[in-house]
Amino acid sequence: MRNLFAFIYRFRAFLVFVLLEVLCVYLIVRYNTYQGAAFFNSANRYVGQVLEFQSGITDYFRLASVNGTLAQENAALREELLQYRLEELADSADVLDSTIYVAPSDTAGSNPYNLIAGRVINNSVRRTNNYLTLAIGTADGVKPGMGVISSNGVVGRVKTVSPHYSTVTSLLHSQLLISAKISKSNTFGTIKWTGGDYRTALLDYIPLHVKPEKGDTIVTSGFNTVFPEGVMVGRISSVEKEADKSFYTIEVELSVDFAQLSYVYVVENPLKEERDTLELNAGIISDEQ
Amino acid sequence: MNSSFGIKHILQFVLFVALQILLMDNLVLYSTGFCFIYVAFLLFLPIEINRVLLLFLGFITGFTVDVFYDTMGIHAAASVLLAFLRPHVLNLLTPRDGYDTNDSVNIHIMGWRWFLAYTLTLLVVHHAAVFFLETINLETMWYNLAKVLLSTLFTGIVVVILQLLFFSPKRASRRL
Repeated sequence: MRNLFAFIYRFRAFLVFVLLEVLCVYLIVRYNTYQGAAFFNSANRYVGQVLEFQSGITDYFRLASVNGTLAQENAALREELLQYRLEELADSADVLDSTIYVAPSDTAGSNPYNLIAGRVINNSVRRTNNYLTLAIGTADGVKPGMGVISSNGVVGRVKTVSPHYSTVTSLLHSQLLISAKISKSNTFGTIKWTGGDYRTALLDYIPLHVKPEKGDTIVTSGFNTVFPEGVMVGRISSVEKEADKSFYTIEVELSVDFAQLSYVYVVENPLKEERDTLELNAGIISDEQ
Repeated sequence: MNSSFGIKHILQFVLFVALQILLMDNLVLYSTGFCFIYVAFLLFLPIEINRVLLLFLGFITGFTVDVFYDTMGIHAAASVLLAFLRPHVLNLLTPRDGYDTNDSVNIHIMGWRWFLAYTLTLLVVHHAAVFFLETINLETMWYNLAKVLLSTLFTGIVVVILQLLFFSPKRASRRL
């Protein structure tokens, strides 16, 4: 017994080293999946306060570009509004209403998504797995798993929330997949970021019989409850056909400049639970988020 | 300089970690050169510090950075590895007549060659651990290696600059 203690004492440094490394590996495996919730992360209250202090200083340097984006968004919304008004004035299509029957309870019409605006207080674009921290939390109605978009397009998904902060898995995360489609042909595939340049991502699973072209718009498919249909993702920047693959290799130039994010919107879908339960009960397991 | 762990080191810890989180997080060269300056805290600790204490300090430092970086465990693992290897590297680099009682990790006292050998060896190990733990697979190995080399250079240069600026040539690591 004494020998055992002597042995342990002699190799104490090595044993402590092994123990700590095992603990680290446990932490890595346990908390580095993108859905995993962790207590120690940047949504933590004290960490959030430090990050908010930091962004309180750096935000001043970005005011000009933030104002520019907001003005652009206003202009786009105003344009859309005008278009609707004009269409309403010239609307003679009342008679056509009978050609398509839309059920009065169709959720697309009656239940819009709610958007919760949030300020980005921490952001990264150059790591292999990137995250954002927002200055909104459960007190504002944010829940884990909600989608996050900006005025330019898709940003990511909420990972964890605390009362006043939330962390978001950015689209620039090696494990985040987003269901998207080519808006021209309605073919759907999966958006995936593979690291490196933060302006481009890959669009996977587009079968060879469709003809994607450079410049085609990629939008979200709306096949899951996270993102509404038709949110911009980016434009195709190159299409390649590889000999040994049954899918195209498509590069997409993302519409969101992740290095410039200041304000984003968290998407709340009031009917998410109902639809998810139904699909789960029916045995449909969605493989992408 | 004995192996005491005083208020000076707590101050260094706060300074280096704050520097890492607030400033160096935004400073990346060509999206390959990262600067993990918080490692300097572990490098500048006294030479005769207790090995077990050093391991725990490594874990705490890495863990603090992890919390802010949302990379749970990666920096902690790399820092613990560095803390484990530090005494061995110090042993290998022992001067001919052993370490003096007032020797410390100081570029003026120990000389350029000793300091660069010590710093760069540990930085390469630490950075390699960080980047390879981040992307468990070996698909992006060449890119990772480039990252390791550039980042080691970057961090190494910053560490040397810190030494030249704040460490006095006369007495053992009297700082600020």
